[in-house]
Amino acid sequence: MAVTKETLESIARAGKPRARWLQATYDFARQRPLGAIGAMMILVMVLVALTANWLAPYDALTTDYGAMLSAPNAQHWLGTDTFGRDVYSRMVFGSRTALIVGLGASFIGATFGALIGVASAYFGGRIDMIVQRIMDVLISFPLIILALAVVAILGTGLQNVIFAIAIPMIPRCARVVRSSALAVREMPYVDAARAAGFTDARIVLRHMLPNVMAPYLIMLTAFLGQAILLEASLSFLGLGVQEPVAAWGLMLRGAAIEFAETAPWMGFFPGLAISLAVFGFNLFGDSLRDALDPRLRTQ
Amino acid sequence: MTHYILKRFLLMFPTLFGVAVLIFLLLRVVPGDIVEVRFMAQGQYSSEAVMAIERAKLGLDKPLWQQFTTWMWGLLHLDFGVSMWTGAPITEELKLRFELSLQLAIMATVVATLLAIPLGILAAVKQDTWIDYAVRVFSIAGLAMPSFWLGILMILAMLIIFKWLPPMVFTSFWVNPWENLAQLIWPALAVGYRYSAVATRMMRSAMLEVLREDYIRTARAKGLWLKLILSRHALKNAMLPVITVIGLEFAFLMGGLVVTEQVFSLNGLGMLFVEAISHRDYTLTQALVLIVASVFIFVNFATDIAYAWLDPRIRYR
Amino acid sequence: MMKQLVGFLAVVAGALFAIPLQAQTPQYGGELVFTVPSEPPSYDGPREQTFGLIHPIAPHYNTLLRVDPTDPTGTKPIGDIAESWTESSDHLTFTFKLRRGVKFHDGDEMTSKDVKASYDKIIFPPEGVASVRKATYLVVKEVEAPDPYTIRFKLKWPSGAFLQSLASPWNFIYKADILAKDMHWYESHIMGTGPFTFVEHVKGSHWVGKKNPNYWDKGKPYLDGYRALFVRSHSAQVAAVRGERSLTQFRSFTPADKEALTNAMGDKIKFQESAWDCILLVAINHTKKPFDDKRVRRALSLALDRWSAAETLSKIAIVKDVAGIQVPGTPWATPPEELKKLTGYWPDIDKSRAEARRLLKEAGVPEGFTFTFYNRGTPMPYEPLAIWLIDQWRQVGLNVKQQVVEAAAYYGTVLRKPDAFDVAMDFQCGYIVEPDLDIYKFISHDKNDDNYGYYTDRVLDELYEKQSRATDAAERTRYLRQFERRLLDEEAHYLMTLQWHRIIPQNARVHGWQITPSHYLNNQLDTVWLSK
Repeated sequence: MAVTKETLESIARAGKPRARWLQATYDFARQRPLGAIGAMMILVMVLVALTANWLAPYDALTTDYGAMLSAPNAQHWLGTDTFGRDVYSRMVFGSRTALIVGLGASFIGATFGALIGVASAYFGGRIDMIVQRIMDVLISFPLIILALAVVAILGTGLQNVIFAIAIPMIPRCARVVRSSALAVREMPYVDAARAAGFTDARIVLRHMLPNVMAPYLIMLTAFLGQAILLEASLSFLGLGVQEPVAAWGLMLRGAAIEFAETAPWMGFFPGLAISLAVFGFNLFGDSLRDALDPRLRTQ
Repeated sequence: MTHYILKRFLLMFPTLFGVAVLIFLLLRVVPGDIVEVRFMAQGQYSSEAVMAIERAKLGLDKPLWQQFTTWMWGLLHLDFGVSMWTGAPITEELKLRFELSLQLAIMATVVATLLAIPLGILAAVKQDTWIDYAVRVFSIAGLAMPSFWLGILMILAMLIIFKWLPPMVFTSFWVNPWENLAQLIWPALAVGYRYSAVATRMMRSAMLEVLREDYIRTARAKGLWLKLILSRHALKNAMLPVITVIGLEFAFLMGGLVVTEQVFSLNGLGMLFVEAISHRDYTLTQALVLIVASVFIFVNFATDIAYAWLDPRIRYR
Repeated sequence: MMKQLVGFLAVVAGALFAIPLQAQTPQYGGELVFTVPSEPPSYDGPREQTFGLIHPIAPHYNTLLRVDPTDPTGTKPIGDIAESWTESSDHLTFTFKLRRGVKFHDGDEMTSKDVKASYDKIIFPPEGVASVRKATYLVVKEVEAPDPYTIRFKLKWPSGAFLQSLASPWNFIYKADILAKDMHWYESHIMGTGPFTFVEHVKGSHWVGKKNPNYWDKGKPYLDGYRALFVRSHSAQVAAVRGERSLTQFRSFTPADKEALTNAMGDKIKFQESAWDCILLVAINHTKKPFDDKRVRRALSLALDRWSAAETLSKIAIVKDVAGIQVPGTPWATPPEELKKLTGYWPDIDKSRAEARRLLKEAGVPEGFTFTFYNRGTPMPYEPLAIWLIDQWRQVGLNVKQQVVEAAAYYGTVLRKPDAFDVAMDFQCGYIVEPDLDIYKFISHDKNDDNYGYYTDRVLDELYEKQSRATDAAERTRYLRQFERRLLDEEAHYLMTLQWHRIIPQNARVHGWQITPSHYLNNQLDTVWLSK
């Protein structure tokens, strides 16, 4: 690649990256306090997930029939569930499941979606037409229904739930990214790269993909919250992550609902955790969207 | 214009056909079949011989292409066939559920619109003030709560505080509007609140854009609310994406309220879908997916046409 | 404290008065509204296997015999449209006298030809008609109708359980003329002789029946009608009972529901409880190593602390009693003291677990041995029992992972595929407590498609035959105990978890209904009445 003014600039900037990041972060926080609050909430969640082993006083899976259904007390800060498992510890470990499902599903969904969208825009013509029709077909299936079908085929379990949530996201992301990529395709440097004889794969991956980062990131953050919620919904229908894994969605269903009045702590706290986590992701995503591209509106 | 509409109209059919092929194949890939569900799930004696007779009766022993062409042939005559599980015509299975889902979708859309438009305008006009933040927090909070959790909390609250429960059985609005609303208003509120979030944000950004228009900026001296009145014309165009979002969400509501219907014990399309798939009722699942997808595809078509009508450039894209 | 005490006394008093209340004079009128957590697939009793059919549809029909609606063990057959019967001395011919004046809802009289046609459809189905219950009546050689009010069953060999099988709640008496015209008519229509006539079925929503004014049992039914609401969500059903939008439910509520409803409704709600003729079993695949070794299978059983689970799990799941091959408290069940002698049922759990470890070691199974336990994706009570099982096995050094398979795919992809699993949850549920029906599942795999242990045990098969043909009660008990010991102790072919436990909520206004161990029984509603 020829040395351009931009690359020189970026090399020059590389000397003091920290200051630039700090500045950007500071600007973001000052201009968008809601986004900053969201980011804080995400950060807390990530920290909890990383330090779960230290934060949790009990193992998430150990049952203790002697202590079943205890109300919050000194030993069990948020009480215990029907198997005498510590609700607080299960919540702390559950943050891992939520993050793995949320990040995994939205990353897979958004990335595959972006790739398909960019490739479709790049090749154009008949290929674009066919890909768009396939995406139309997928998008016409309601989200939860497609997820239901995928779980039915693949079976339950953590990885399969991630796929089940990711697959319906692919066409949604592909559609948004494609419309941005259509504009990128007309850019002179893409023509130049083509003239230089680069392979299609290289042009798509190296030249076009980086230029649709804004819609990609927006879709990614928007999916994060949705993925966590969808996991909870699938769990509620009995199709999500399975017991005895510690997961918020699981903690909310079954016994938590049966005992909603007599042992409200079982379901209340995990419900709160889900709401706060999704709230944080959405708050952050919303502001990120404003910051990156105020004109990108339709999904 | 006519040419564009025709082209766009014809494009709906390959999509629908694709949906039909996809659901047909998906269902056959899903493990388990209706006869197993029917005869083994109850913990009583079941013999392979009996199940073979039942499979033959349902035509499940025929090759896939034959099953598919039979289905397609029926569809061409607008005949959805009979449900494999109940043996009743699918139109009969759908009638009541469709009415309920349609009404709930309409009510939820009304709730969402009534929340989204004023809140979005308010947030835009008061951009970056605490009012703006409060509106955004309120709408994002709606997106964040698991809908079944919100539903269960609502029902418990009604039971504990008012010692009252909404009616369990759907009564058509035309038969008894009071009874009908007493049942559907709660899920409509829960769903509408949730779905207002996206529309609110769309409304807000559309409004912001309008407010940035030059001739409105010059009217600053005349006061904010007057600006709004001035911008009525501009607002009409800005509303398009808002209407699109509301339209698409309406389409999703028709079949996507699986969890809400379960919590509020509503006899709608979403629950029917879950049931059909858990029974491996191929014919019913296929019909449901086609109907829900048709609604979605049609709403999409209608918004595209609306866009093209308002913005002629699109037609030549 | 005082309030709780008063509440407690109220409950005790309520329980004491429950019996006298039942003896009150029944009152006429009212509509019984109840929820059904399922829905009838078709309307044809002999074809279906779900309570979702029985609960709304049984009130439209009569059967030849029925289980005595006042018998808490649910085992005693009495006449329904049969007035009386005789058994020949060689036990091979049963002759039934039918009631006179029994009318179908269209006004036509019911006679023996209707009974014969109904049973012929079940026992000797024509080509292309599937009869799931044919296997239950293999013993029947012929059904005869010598005159309009007599019906006769000829058997191929003596059967101790034949009368019970005729009290099956599924075998509705249909109209012969209709069956002759269309064998499938009853799949989508109702035409019976029962205490209630059909009004409407709104798909996915509800089913309505109203009083049959010409019912043969004069004075019954008491209710003006009934309304079955199809409600899938469990929490919605509980809410319905609490909000008095439903008066009862005939399958079961959970212990948690009972507590919540009692707290909220006080004396406006009452409960009936019974051991339930359903049980989750652990199927151990004999074609897989090391599970072909009976020492390993016995160790799996010895690891389970059944007696303490009966205390704890019964608070959170619909299970309770420790059971052998028969529902505890019913005539053929092994008493607890004797049960405690079986491997895996010892009261001393430490001794039991030590023995389990010893057996595993002897069989060459290392500490921390890992296997997958397949479970069906049905929350209650599969999920709590699986969590319990895995935890119990962990305590004898086994590392067990759970794999949950969606309910609809479970049998096809797991249990019916001997290559697919090592150890899996299995389920058995009966419509009447009767050894012939309850233990048929355990005979050798080559004779029985429902044996998911995939073993062949001729000793067991022979004991089954013997108990089935024994006409003397003491003799039959002896064979049953031998069967039980071989199945659960010596060979440990299958493991029993805990017997299911049925908890029926009833609004205080509901009377005249007796719980039995089966949610398929006692649903004609002819004896039920509502107080004002």
